[in-house]
Amino acid sequence: MEQLFDLALINSALRVLTPILLAALGGALCSRVGLFNVGLEGFMLLGAFAAVVGNHFFGNVFYAILFAIAIVSIFSFIFAYLSINLQANVIVVGIAMNALAAGLTTFSLRAIFDVKGAFYDNTMVGLPKWNIPIIEDIPVIGPILAGLTPLVYLSFLIAGLMWYYFYRTKNGFRFLAAGENPLAAKSVGIRVRRYQYGAVLASGVLCALAGAQLSLGQVTMFTEGMTAGRGFIALVATMLGQSGPLGVTAASLLFGFMDALSIRFQGLALPTHFTQMLPYVVTILAMFFFKDKSFQQDALKQGSSSR
Amino acid sequence: MNKWTKFTLPLLQPIAAILVGLLAGAIAIMIAGGDILQTYAEMWKGAFGGMYFFTNTLSRATPIILIGLGAAFAFRAGFFNLGAEGQMVFGALSAALVGLYMPGPGWLVCIAAILAGVIAGGLWSVMAGYFDARFRVNLLISTLLLNYVAVLFAGYLVAYPLKDRSGSAAMAQSEMLDNSVWLPKLISGMPLHVGFVLAVLAALIIFVLLKRSVIGYEVRMLGGNPLFALFGGVKRGPMMLGAMFFSGGLAGLGGAVEILGSQYRYIDGALSTADYAWTGIMAALLAGSHPIGTLIASIFLAALQTGGMGVERNTEVPLEVGAIIQAVLILFISARFTYSFLKRRKGNKSDGTAV
Repeated sequence: MEQLFDLALINSALRVLTPILLAALGGALCSRVGLFNVGLEGFMLLGAFAAVVGNHFFGNVFYAILFAIAIVSIFSFIFAYLSINLQANVIVVGIAMNALAAGLTTFSLRAIFDVKGAFYDNTMVGLPKWNIPIIEDIPVIGPILAGLTPLVYLSFLIAGLMWYYFYRTKNGFRFLAAGENPLAAKSVGIRVRRYQYGAVLASGVLCALAGAQLSLGQVTMFTEGMTAGRGFIALVATMLGQSGPLGVTAASLLFGFMDALSIRFQGLALPTHFTQMLPYVVTILAMFFFKDKSFQQDALKQGSSSR
Repeated sequence: MNKWTKFTLPLLQPIAAILVGLLAGAIAIMIAGGDILQTYAEMWKGAFGGMYFFTNTLSRATPIILIGLGAAFAFRAGFFNLGAEGQMVFGALSAALVGLYMPGPGWLVCIAAILAGVIAGGLWSVMAGYFDARFRVNLLISTLLLNYVAVLFAGYLVAYPLKDRSGSAAMAQSEMLDNSVWLPKLISGMPLHVGFVLAVLAALIIFVLLKRSVIGYEVRMLGGNPLFALFGGVKRGPMMLGAMFFSGGLAGLGGAVEILGSQYRYIDGALSTADYAWTGIMAALLAGSHPIGTLIASIFLAALQTGGMGVERNTEVPLEVGAIIQAVLILFISARFTYSFLKRRKGNKSDGTAV
């Protein structure tokens, strides 16, 4: 057991949970305004690819992230326009977005870099890895926080800000109201569509950051389909966390820990299938106990769910 | 005149969407530096040029048709079953297991394997349906999650207890099925197998079932207006279990015929990377859940994929051009939901229904 659990495990859990947390917060924003965003996976994949492209052409991490945000914003705008203005089925648009992102990134990988499978470039600079001077030397916290990228800290900051926005600001209350009961919100003059657009675009930005952490964080490369279902895990974290910032953070922590644990198992040549399965099983079990009523009602409004 | 518009109007949108999809593909080809007409000609040749390629496309379409029909049936009943992948994987796995370990004459084992596939896919799907009907666990989410559980579980089985240790390859796969268990080919030397006939038959049966039978009417009623169905005495719980079993069973059948007809063993990830499940769901969406339409749409989407392979063999353009066309097509077809949505809204105003 001692081989399995140590401080480095928490450190690697923090690294792997960041993309999931960022995307799950985006998913929470969307589901709060009644749009169930299945396209997180695709957004994240596009973000990862765009970040690498930006890095290759601008040679600067900051511009690379801005480029990723710009590209994913365009896609999330298409998602928003189709599902809000044209009233297309959100789930269908999300599925199509995932397929489009998978096709587009692989296609562009060939068209831009003329490689198949993966793109790697020695000259590319990844995200900086911070070792904060004083904290570094504190016994327990030091190794846990060693060498994390700024995006790891940013993701927790965003979760905190989102909590503040939702429950402590007037605008946040309006946002929640627009999702809870769009008709009533509209009747008191809240511009529901504006909040919906805002939520989808914000989720695009968050997914772009998540993608950047994937392709520029631990490794500096892009491989085909490198999100590998993380967008769906993020969706699950959104569900499990009842679309609240704190719940989503807790759920992401759980999934990050499971992920880190299965990486550890791989190192010990143990079957990883069951540890990988755990997040999904836990979520299904959790759905027996916590029923996200507001989500179900939102889904009902969309006329797209099972009931 | 009226009859003419009745036939052409529903076709108008898919055709427009296909044109937009091909346009998007043309832009992608242009960016990749290929010649548009030549690339599309290669795509056509890769999908339909010659007997081998044509039967190859139909053979690839076979699991897609079955999965698409399963999804379409569930959509018609108003249940968003996104669990086709897991249902297909379990169908394929059970078919492989029965094919490997059941004694008896080949044809009997083959039939038993197909039945096992249907039952395994159906039961896996019913589980999600039962969770929803009994515990109100959202079906959309649970089917999506159960996919991962199924794929990982099957992956574990072929990576450890059932792994093929005879060959030198270190791949996670089961042993090869015996020759006698294989589904016969329709034309010798071509990839097309009997599974395709089953798929076409399934499409016809579902078409008749939905159009002409009491159960089909109840299913359509439940999907069209759940409140009206409730009022009319349709029991939602049993209907849900039945529809989910049928839907999952078709996906399981798709997995089983793919194993028995063309792969002959369960290879970890082979069904997922070919993306049969999502393509099948897209075919159902493209066709508006119409069974015959799903059949045609599945062949069309399979042709995009095999055509993409042809493009990759003979030109500089990557095969994903097919995936791009497919995704853009679905995005535009989703706007059709607008059309029916608007119609329903208008209708409500005049009939004065509550919802």
